[in-house]
Amino acid sequence: MIYLDYAATTPLDPRVLQAMLPYLTADGSFANPASTHGPGYKARAAVERARAQVAALLGAEPAEIVWTSGATESNNLAIKGALEFNGGHNGRSPHIVTSRTEHKCVLDTCRHLETQGVRVTFLRPGTDGVVSPEQVLEALTPETVLVSLMWVNNEIGVVQEVQRLAPLLRERGVLFHVDAVQAAGKLPIDLRATPIDLLSVSAHKIYGPKGAGALYVRRKPRARLAPQMHGGGHEWGMRSGTLATHQIAGMGAAFEIAAAELQADAERLAGLRDLLWQRLQALPRILRNGDPQRAAPHVLNVSFEGVEGEALRASLPDLAVSSGSACSSATQEPSYVLRALGRDDELANASLRFSLGRGTTAGQIEQAADKVIKQVQWLRELSPLWKP
Amino acid sequence: MEAINSTEANPFGYAQPIWERFTHPRHVGEFAPGTPGVVSGEAGSKAARSVLRLQLRFEGGRVADVRFRAYGCPSSIAVGAWIVEWSLGKTPAELATLRAADLRQALEIADDRAHCALLGEDALHAALASFAATS
Repeated sequence: MIYLDYAATTPLDPRVLQAMLPYLTADGSFANPASTHGPGYKARAAVERARAQVAALLGAEPAEIVWTSGATESNNLAIKGALEFNGGHNGRSPHIVTSRTEHKCVLDTCRHLETQGVRVTFLRPGTDGVVSPEQVLEALTPETVLVSLMWVNNEIGVVQEVQRLAPLLRERGVLFHVDAVQAAGKLPIDLRATPIDLLSVSAHKIYGPKGAGALYVRRKPRARLAPQMHGGGHEWGMRSGTLATHQIAGMGAAFEIAAAELQADAERLAGLRDLLWQRLQALPRILRNGDPQRAAPHVLNVSFEGVEGEALRASLPDLAVSSGSACSSATQEPSYVLRALGRDDELANASLRFSLGRGTTAGQIEQAADKVIKQVQWLRELSPLWKP
Repeated sequence: MEAINSTEANPFGYAQPIWERFTHPRHVGEFAPGTPGVVSGEAGSKAARSVLRLQLRFEGGRVADVRFRAYGCPSSIAVGAWIVEWSLGKTPAELATLRAADLRQALEIADDRAHCALLGEDALHAALASFAATS
């Protein structure tokens, strides 16, 4: 089995596992980090160390990191929380700007808010997958409370121009939320230099545990959120619930490792991604999705003309790749991201997302390319419609 | 012809008869143009993402050789492979008895893929109509 689905999830780094184990059992720091006794303080120290580790990768202050259960919760908290706190004070419907190629958890959150009276503009990216800052600025209205865009698209790997957009939104007093799940640990992020207000990250995409995430909430100027989880007032009142010390310690370790290895990882993965694209081009009539000049190092998305998508995936049983994101494959519908880029249903369906990670080798890439080439050729030969 | 050289046995949970024919279909291709006794039948559409083309070569009133090509999901490819294999040695009257329900039973086709069985029935009946028209 060749695993090329690192954008869906990654295995736990063994160093991360070691960092998590001391916080689970009776002989370790299992205590509730909110408890005011010795063991509680010890657990609290682990949580705060992890907070600093996560902040360091993002160029943020530790006090700007709010723990969540993962990126879906971070995105929900950012968008719903910002709207609830900031929207609708003048009696008019508040407005959000986002794009059609966002992750489902952003789109579905926005759709839910629409049912509550919020107006949402879903921008359509260009055929290269890029949403231009100018497009965003044009969509703003006096009622716009929030813009939500992802830094790196999870399906096609396109890097959006969030760094250029952020100061433009700051000038206009509009909050900017960025889903950086596929960017953290892959691209340099410096929130001291980039005026993003809210930023979502996840542990399991960069060799940390599943079920752990964070939302960066800027302190200066302060981004205000209404909590979406009420309880004991944890996390400065923004997200209640007992902190999962071991998950958080793991996330911290994963982010610290990512910071140390980011540059080497990114260069190596970009090289392997280019090797894969170069090898696949032995096949005629294939299309790369997303602007290659704005490509994240770890994602390559390719459409194959003349083959049916389900048969293509089924013909590669020892290759773990995805069609679109794991979240949209559950519905077995052609990727809405590729549809938004203007690919027709058939081509969107006959697309594979290859995502590379620390375990990926050049040998695996060559083998994977050989398998894909062989199966696409076979399915084309089998098709009564294929004309070479 | 071996299509898929996999070490992984059906990780997607397809019914075994479908998986076997999808991974090891026989009689793929088409007869050379002008081959005597050949009739063709096609069903489906590109828009529906499934097209099946069957070719039957009759000799002495029975199917002597077969070919098929398919574009579509594994179930529709398996339907093509199953029909041509089943057709060998049969008369047109015998072929005419095949129904989608038989295909669904033989290949264990699930409800949500019932259209793949209908595709097979339609393609075979198109071939029989072509046979009736030419003989």
